[in-house]
Amino acid sequence: MKRRKSKTEDQQQAIEKEVQSNPLNFTGNLSIDLDRIRSEIGQNGDVHIREFKIGSLNARAALIFIDGLADTEIINNNILRSLMSVDDQDCEKNRNIETSTRERLSTHMLLIGKVNETSNIQSFDTAILAGSAGLLVEGTAIGFVLDVAKAKTRNIEEPLSESLVRGPRVGFVEQLSDNTALLRNLSKTQDLAINTFKVGTKIKKDLAIVYMRDIVDPQLLEEVIQRIQTINIDNLPESGYVEQLIEDNQFSPFPQIQNTERPDRVMGAILEGRVGILLDGTPFALILPVTFNMLLQSPEDYYERWISGTLIRMLRYLAAFIALFGPSLYIAFSSFHQGLIPTKLAISIAASREGVPFPPLIEALIMEISIEILREAGLRLPKPVGQSLGIVGGLIVGEAAVQAGIVSPIMVIVVAVTAISSFTLPHYSIGITIRFLRFVVMLFSAVYGLYGVVLFVLLLCTHLVKLKSFNVPYLSPAVPYQLSDLKDFLIRAPLSMMKRRPKLMHTQESKRK
Amino acid sequence: MTKQKFDQITTPQTVVIISNFILGIGILTLPRTVTEKVKTPDGWITIILGGITALLVAIIMVKLAERFPGKSIFQYSNEITGKVIGSVVSLCIIIYYLTLSSFELRAMSETTRLFLLQGTPNWAIILPFIWIGLYLITGGINPIARMFEIVFPITILFFLLVMFLGIKVFDINNLRPVMGMGVMPVMKGLTTTSLSFVGFEIILIIYMYMKEPTRALKATVIGLSISLVFYCVTFIMVIGALSIDGAVTQTWPVLTFIRSFEISGLFVERFDSLLLVIWIMQLFTTFAVCYYAAALGLSHIFNKNINLFIYGLAPLIYIVSMMPRNINEMFQLGSVIGNFTLYFFSCVPVLLLLISLMRGKQS
Repeated sequence: MKRRKSKTEDQQQAIEKEVQSNPLNFTGNLSIDLDRIRSEIGQNGDVHIREFKIGSLNARAALIFIDGLADTEIINNNILRSLMSVDDQDCEKNRNIETSTRERLSTHMLLIGKVNETSNIQSFDTAILAGSAGLLVEGTAIGFVLDVAKAKTRNIEEPLSESLVRGPRVGFVEQLSDNTALLRNLSKTQDLAINTFKVGTKIKKDLAIVYMRDIVDPQLLEEVIQRIQTINIDNLPESGYVEQLIEDNQFSPFPQIQNTERPDRVMGAILEGRVGILLDGTPFALILPVTFNMLLQSPEDYYERWISGTLIRMLRYLAAFIALFGPSLYIAFSSFHQGLIPTKLAISIAASREGVPFPPLIEALIMEISIEILREAGLRLPKPVGQSLGIVGGLIVGEAAVQAGIVSPIMVIVVAVTAISSFTLPHYSIGITIRFLRFVVMLFSAVYGLYGVVLFVLLLCTHLVKLKSFNVPYLSPAVPYQLSDLKDFLIRAPLSMMKRRPKLMHTQESKRK
Repeated sequence: MTKQKFDQITTPQTVVIISNFILGIGILTLPRTVTEKVKTPDGWITIILGGITALLVAIIMVKLAERFPGKSIFQYSNEITGKVIGSVVSLCIIIYYLTLSSFELRAMSETTRLFLLQGTPNWAIILPFIWIGLYLITGGINPIARMFEIVFPITILFFLLVMFLGIKVFDINNLRPVMGMGVMPVMKGLTTTSLSFVGFEIILIIYMYMKEPTRALKATVIGLSISLVFYCVTFIMVIGALSIDGAVTQTWPVLTFIRSFEISGLFVERFDSLLLVIWIMQLFTTFAVCYYAAALGLSHIFNKNINLFIYGLAPLIYIVSMMPRNINEMFQLGSVIGNFTLYFFSCVPVLLLLISLMRGKQS
């Protein structure tokens, strides 16, 4: 008795020694390993530990999984059922053929696609927390990671922020694997490369870089990877974090990385030699490098015939111009340079401003700020309410303000046209930039008139020519001149004429095949 | 995308810089200054001859610069003539660019006051302009070149449009007779017209930045030719519309010419102020490159970081630009700069080239 006791003590000591010498690995002793897992993640209410006996091996085992993340149906039908059933024939066979427990488990009993093995407790825990089920078997110093993660995903829908009249009704979702699958689906070619990284110091998130292996400029790729590796933040809840952490100039009002929910847009961009970034947990993919004209383009420009594509694109440039300069030009012409506009128009402006107590700047500020408030309010409210708010705000307040003599009717027209123009911008982020800059240029023009507008244009151009997105000048292909790329700038040339990829991307393969 | 030792500019950028720089200040006053000297409608012949003269000087400059690739004139003037004379030459160039940029600022300010902002003090117009220029040139030569590329097509298109609209007030009889008084009047204006091509000497400085230095000559010739065509078209249109007597009496004959017609039915009836707006943008680029050239010169002489001189020069440029008391003194300053340019840039590059050939200096 005494002797036996001492023997078990010896065993215990040996195990403890091993635990101490290699604290991260499994020991093979089920109760000790389970205790360690319990102490690490088991105290959480959502971690389930199911202990049972493997029928055909007659060995104790434990299955650890997280409620809601792991698919219980698969666990019940494909794992527990096969493990726990006692098949005499099987037992007989097992006894005859001398194979390890490990091999028998994965070749005969685990009826699922992905089974990984690990001897490290830490990675075992991480996998369980990511949704896999962990299996421990008495006498085996290895943890089996069974991929039974149930994808919590929503249906693929058309993206709300970038809806098109013509084009695929497909948008990214939150699950990274779904998103990469969408891209794979669009290009069934071996050249589509999807590299995944783990980013975030505390909460590690999957981030995928997608590009065309035979097109992308290797230097660009190197730069992107290098910048992604410098990301040092505890958590990345949205791709906006990635964008802000890797962009060139964080003080610029202009977005230097494009975000999109549309797989077709990402696909088009990477076929031009750009790089896409997908982050797990957000439907917004990033495209880089970006140039200014890309932010005013829509995939529809390419889906429609080239004439309509060109015309609509030009219309959009015009709208962007109005959205930026509308109110400031009104201020400049009505308060500084009445002589520049036709006399009759000048008179009608002056007549409509009669009785308005404020100078044009204040008048414009009142209207512009209230329309920005309306827009922001309409965005937060539920949809039907938001629409009626727009009507109430836009029509009634505008009408009342004119009747009360606070603003002139022409000002209301200018503000309304400006606001509508800014809605034509196909990107929300460039829209915000232009809305913000509109106020800056209004101040410039209130101080200096037309000269102020020119000063602002100079300042804006100066900023834009200095700005680069991943070493690509922001205003290219307009400046520096790249004549062959201008076919896809102001105009959208017929597809048969656009046989080459943009030169500014320095692609490996210049011809579209 | 490769990391370069320093910024480089492409050949089209060089062309644009040269022709835009030349057009910068001359174009609005050219018809008056030429006609004052020539006194016959043959000014356009003078302009062509002046352009050819300028071209010869430009070729000498390119030949000089080609002997020292990767270096600016501030560096190789030392190598050719020794430290003392070289520094004097460099200093002259720096002072020239400094004064030129101040003059351009003041000219811009005076014109803006006349046409857009009556009663606004000069300092209020000049200061924000300097600040934006400073912001641009801290980025180096590349953003400056790109800025030129933005402004150049806008200027050209708008200018051509305005000239085209002016056809209805154009009268060919104002340009007759050709050579009615013989060749002498044409020759009299040669100095003035050659001077109006001032600006091409920037090739001495931007040559070191060129990506393809072998095309420098071609770029200079194209740049000069573009401005030559522009000068001729402008002169012919303005004299055709205003006649020589009308052009001489106007301070800004080109703007007067544009004022002389109205296109009704459009949102904007008069184009003079709009042309002025475009011209301000063009002047901005010219100003910026002068400013940059001066700062670059100082940084090469003293071998210090250029940013130091960029910030240091800003107040100096402001002070110099405020020195003329009125618009007449401003034009006097302009003619002083012009005379200096004439003697300095027609002699010094030739001398430098000869000395370097004799001493066999080449890097």
